[in-house]
Amino acid sequence: MNLANMTDYHHFPIYSVMVLFLGAFIIASTGSKPSKDPKNPAGFRAWIALCATALSLFFLGSLVKPVMLEGEIISYWMGSRAIAGGYAIGIAMEVDALSLFFALLIATAVFVSAIYSIRYMVHDECVPQYYVLYCMLAGGVLGLVLSGDIFNMFIMVEILTFAAVALTSFRTKVYGALEAAFKYLVVGCMGSTAILTGVIMLYAQYHTLNLAQLANLVPGTMNNATKLAFAFLYIGFSTKAFIVPFHPLAADAHGAAPASISVLISGVLTKSGIYGIIRLTYFLFQTMNLGSMQFMLVFIGSVSMFVCVTMALAQHDFKRLLAYHSISQIGYVLAAVGLSTSLGISAGLYHAMNHTLFKGLLFLAAGAVLHETGTTDLGKLGGLSKKMPHTTVLFLIGAFSISGVPPFNGFASKWMIYQATYQKAVESNNIGFLLVTIVALVTSTLTLASFVKVTQSVFFGQMPKEYENVKEVPFGMRLAMGILACLCIVTGLFPKTVTGVLTEPAAKAVANVGEYITAMGFKSNLPVPNVTFAQVGVWEPINWLLILCIALLALTIPAVAGKYDRVSEHGGPLGAAIEMVSGKNDQPTVDENGEVDTKYQLFYGGEKNVYSQVGGGDLFWGFKHNWRHYFDFMHNLHSGIVNDYALWAVVALALAIVYMMIVL
Amino acid sequence: MIQFNYVCAFFLIVLGFYTIVTKYNLVKTVIGMSIMDYGVNLLIISIGYTPGGTAPIFTKGELTQASYFVDPIPQALTLTSIVIGACVTAMSMSLVMRLHESYGTLDTREIRRLRG
Repeated sequence: MNLANMTDYHHFPIYSVMVLFLGAFIIASTGSKPSKDPKNPAGFRAWIALCATALSLFFLGSLVKPVMLEGEIISYWMGSRAIAGGYAIGIAMEVDALSLFFALLIATAVFVSAIYSIRYMVHDECVPQYYVLYCMLAGGVLGLVLSGDIFNMFIMVEILTFAAVALTSFRTKVYGALEAAFKYLVVGCMGSTAILTGVIMLYAQYHTLNLAQLANLVPGTMNNATKLAFAFLYIGFSTKAFIVPFHPLAADAHGAAPASISVLISGVLTKSGIYGIIRLTYFLFQTMNLGSMQFMLVFIGSVSMFVCVTMALAQHDFKRLLAYHSISQIGYVLAAVGLSTSLGISAGLYHAMNHTLFKGLLFLAAGAVLHETGTTDLGKLGGLSKKMPHTTVLFLIGAFSISGVPPFNGFASKWMIYQATYQKAVESNNIGFLLVTIVALVTSTLTLASFVKVTQSVFFGQMPKEYENVKEVPFGMRLAMGILACLCIVTGLFPKTVTGVLTEPAAKAVANVGEYITAMGFKSNLPVPNVTFAQVGVWEPINWLLILCIALLALTIPAVAGKYDRVSEHGGPLGAAIEMVSGKNDQPTVDENGEVDTKYQLFYGGEKNVYSQVGGGDLFWGFKHNWRHYFDFMHNLHSGIVNDYALWAVVALALAIVYMMIVL
Repeated sequence: MIQFNYVCAFFLIVLGFYTIVTKYNLVKTVIGMSIMDYGVNLLIISIGYTPGGTAPIFTKGELTQASYFVDPIPQALTLTSIVIGACVTAMSMSLVMRLHESYGTLDTREIRRLRG
């Protein structure tokens, strides 16, 4: 094999997976002796991991031109064993725009998290082994999205589950780490078993494991065994995406894992599950033209959105809260993808990308806080903006992005999701999809509310005495956060470019299944669809940015210039808000016993006997009081007993089987 | 008779699910996961079996059109699956040991620090 042949870009997908596993192998073979440098206990192993992830990102980045822009689908047979007698006999990789889109996301998140790990992991034991598992996890997820063979997908699912469980539990002294890992392992294994059962039942029917060939054979020849296989596969990939009812596992795992791994679990593992569901429903079984399947995905997406955001409101641990928000955003992705319109798919993928960026940024910021203060308890933190100004700014960028504030990227993609659901409601004349738009809007508001609370109780407010000596985090960690923050802003400012280069080719690939089949050398009669990304209404995020600026000016100028008296005469929420901003009404009222009563004050009100820098211990005390029955119910439901979570998995599987048998 | 294998395979899978859901002892949970794995392995092997087939091992020249053998792919898949099952058992047992060290119990109802 000569050099020109080796640098052919058709080999790049396998290289990108190979370098990561090779990196894991090299790091593992250097033993587990920590280096003498206290700032980098893993020594050169960290640099090997960084190089492996950087190379992987480079190989995938150089595929953007042929795959995304020119629309080529790379098919690659291991050992050149292609098709014999009409059957795929070799193991294949197939990279279309959808695979490459997810692969790029994963490679970026893995690379940034590797930069962050070098300085973040100084306090831990077993750091050399950490990098072995890190590379395995990255390689597993990349292999999953680039694979063209369904059994290979199962193998990669097992590799990534194992690596994720080990990475969650290896800090055995961390509160709840072992417990979280065990729960994740039990339910994750049930999911993996479901995937394997589905795979083998498909093999029994069609005698092939190749995705393209299955996509060619399965639709139109569905029998009860295939429906059963579909239900098993769907539940299997759901456990990997952590959508309802598997969300408690994500919360446990995120809380216990190091921040650099939380980024991967939230930004990368959930994406692999979403990728699996898209491959399954749009390609393998091609059931997404059925209204019942659209209903299922959109319904589960909406439930995930809402349930997880309310669960997040009730959390008092920084990372658990972020974990629930993460699944809430995955709900957006699933609901948008389930619409089965080109705009919906494009919006869903765009949000998936933004989710990786802003969620990664938020977890890294949470990790920075943990690194410096040693806690993630929201009740104990406070006032860190004075000590960690850079982290605060970076966290705020992430918080604005996830809450959908223009001009950050979360706004652009959420706007597209509202548009897509609205358009679907108009096209299908179905009021149900409008409800999804409303749920998405409400969830976005609750997300913003939750992040106001987090920002207030971590970075602003009163600083406890023990954090006097807190310093800003090292440059390496800030660099990683900075990269993600820049990406958040860039993808938010140029939504048209981003969708044009990345998500629209991927959405076209989803619509054009026939090409996916023929690229592997099978004959397909599927027509080439005519894909457009036309939208209803006005789509100009810059306008919304201007409106926001005007609204902010309208609120601040009178407050700063001291003209608030005139407004407060009119009363109402605006007057009260301005009084609050200007501090005019900050004096607590005195009740008949001569005691200070802060119960009814805006923002800082609450029961006075609960000591905290915020009244009632919480900014949204009143809101939560009104919803206490719901919160109590949800709290008791998420009991933390592994049997309950396993029961949810079994019930979900049973429901999925019954549903598939009825509707397909 | 191969139908009996299928019934048994799914019976084992469901028995595994049942064990995981109803048993409050961590070791029994791990046993349930193993039973689930064995069920899937039995299913895979049964799918590849053809009555009267020989082992799919041939040297060059031996293989003719009339050769009749069982499907080798499911056997390869089963090997992979068995290895993964063994890893799952090893890993979960090591977690159970550490959990017992730090919580002092094997009852899942008491291992619930993370909840809500």
